[in-house]
Amino acid sequence: MALSAEVLGMLAFTLLAFWGVSLWALTRTLRQESRKVDILEHQDRMDTYSPEALAELREWIEDHPNDPLADRARAQYNECVDVVTQTDRHFYDWSDADINRLERL
Amino acid sequence: MSDTSPKTARDEWGTRFGFLMAMIGGMVGAGNIWRFPYVMGDNGGGAFVLAFLTLLFLLAVPGLMAEVALGRYTNKGIIGAFRDVVGRGGMVGFGVVVLLVNIALMSYYSPLIGWTLYYAVHSLLFTFTAPGFEAQAFMDSFFANPALMIALHTVVMGSIAAILALGIRRGVERIVVYAVPALVISLVIMAIRGLTLPGASEGIAFTFGVQWEYLIASETWIAALGQALFSTGLGWGIALTVGSYLREYDDVPLGGGVFTAIGESSIAILATLAIFPVVFAVGVEPDAGTGLAFVSLVQVFPEIPLGGLVAILFFAGFFLATFTSGLLITEVSVTTVSEETRLSRTQTVLAVCGGIWLLGLPSAYSTEVLDFLDFVFGNWGLPLATLAIIGVIGWVLGPERLRVLTVNRNAGIHIGTWWNPVIKYVIPAVMLFIMAYFAWENFREPEMIAGMLVLVLFPLIGYAIMSLVEGRRDTTDTAGVTGGDD
Repeated sequence: MALSAEVLGMLAFTLLAFWGVSLWALTRTLRQESRKVDILEHQDRMDTYSPEALAELREWIEDHPNDPLADRARAQYNECVDVVTQTDRHFYDWSDADINRLERL
Repeated sequence: MSDTSPKTARDEWGTRFGFLMAMIGGMVGAGNIWRFPYVMGDNGGGAFVLAFLTLLFLLAVPGLMAEVALGRYTNKGIIGAFRDVVGRGGMVGFGVVVLLVNIALMSYYSPLIGWTLYYAVHSLLFTFTAPGFEAQAFMDSFFANPALMIALHTVVMGSIAAILALGIRRGVERIVVYAVPALVISLVIMAIRGLTLPGASEGIAFTFGVQWEYLIASETWIAALGQALFSTGLGWGIALTVGSYLREYDDVPLGGGVFTAIGESSIAILATLAIFPVVFAVGVEPDAGTGLAFVSLVQVFPEIPLGGLVAILFFAGFFLATFTSGLLITEVSVTTVSEETRLSRTQTVLAVCGGIWLLGLPSAYSTEVLDFLDFVFGNWGLPLATLAIIGVIGWVLGPERLRVLTVNRNAGIHIGTWWNPVIKYVIPAVMLFIMAYFAWENFREPEMIAGMLVLVLFPLIGYAIMSLVEGRRDTTDTAGVTGGDD
């Protein structure tokens, strides 16, 4: 029995959608892990937020200054700012302009 | 965690790969192997794949991110995580609900692992390809032997206890980093064997043929919903527990969400390619559950070249899939009980595994009991646990708090605000719908009545236990972080 083009197409799509995405995620996360290990061999700390995520964290802290988790959030924010401004190797893509704009809270 | 180390020194995954394999090992179970292929073929093939994939990305991926993130945020097991969010008091009892559901789940899952072990051993003895072998008679005599069932249940729980006693890194991680790749390799080899058989294309046409009309049928979406939620183990406490052992700079959303949900479903797709071409090539009727694994496939092995070796690959892979799930399901209770009591890890493992062994005796003795419990906990117990975990994140901690504080911290992919309504509204609504749908489908059946008892009694028992326990404890650190419903 010869398979129709539709069946073959769906088989290819399914393999790509499941195994393609899984292998992409596995490769990406293991490569990121290697980069993190490299950075931590070079310095003892590493940036913990991307520029976009750190901006969102700052916005949340400013919008919720009295939240029970505000102190924890502030500590995490300041930790990331310190690492980004005091170290030369970063995990996320920080431009000089991004770094110059950073301020502790 | 060694027995002599102080309880404050918490174990963690040794490698990123170890964490990822633990997630996959915990989520890939019997359902991926003996349920998914038939459900897919029976619900429109390609149409089912589209519905399933949509629901995976809509529900399972965000939900798993949330559950792993809660474990990572608290660095605690189920009850400790709930206490950190809701503060001390009876509401911590919802964590007890998750724990009770896990123990109940493992009590009937362990005998099932025993079945796969028995068939794996017999595949190694080439029983299935011996002259005069009868698959149905073999299975019937096996299921009619309660002493053997109980012995297998004992071996399974004993093996799990031995591994868990070694701890997270030296026990669980050492097993899953080999077991999960071995499962994948065994299924790949079986798929290659199956796809090269004459007549295999009929199996492919059955499972991957697209019947578009199924895409607008509610049954297709209900089946896809059940598969997406139950197969990924969302909200059972496994992802929370595994996530609680993450290291300082580890990512949550890419590994804990995308890779876990899509990766474990990929193994179900692989199982489809491994099983159905073989079944159709020999002309055996496709089936699901015990009928597929223990009758249809076993009838197939003597009919194909190298069938004895294919049987070994299949049953070894099947055993590894169920055993690693059992390991991680039991770890949920071990982590929590170890944190909540003064018992050492070894003492906790013995107590938990001993308790599960005892509770599992009725399921080992009678497959009717096992089927009954599977139906009750599959349809109401597990959704209740999911509702408890996702509910506490969505409505008490608050998804936005978790997103900015934990999900996007050290993350491999950025998660936007779209994630918040999914956690707060969509997943809880879907879980309520599923429980109501199954109750309506089985209205007044004994299973439905037992399910309603689980829904009412488990939260009450949990609330009563934690009200009593928490009332006796020092309450200096009782704050919790309520009020986070964004």
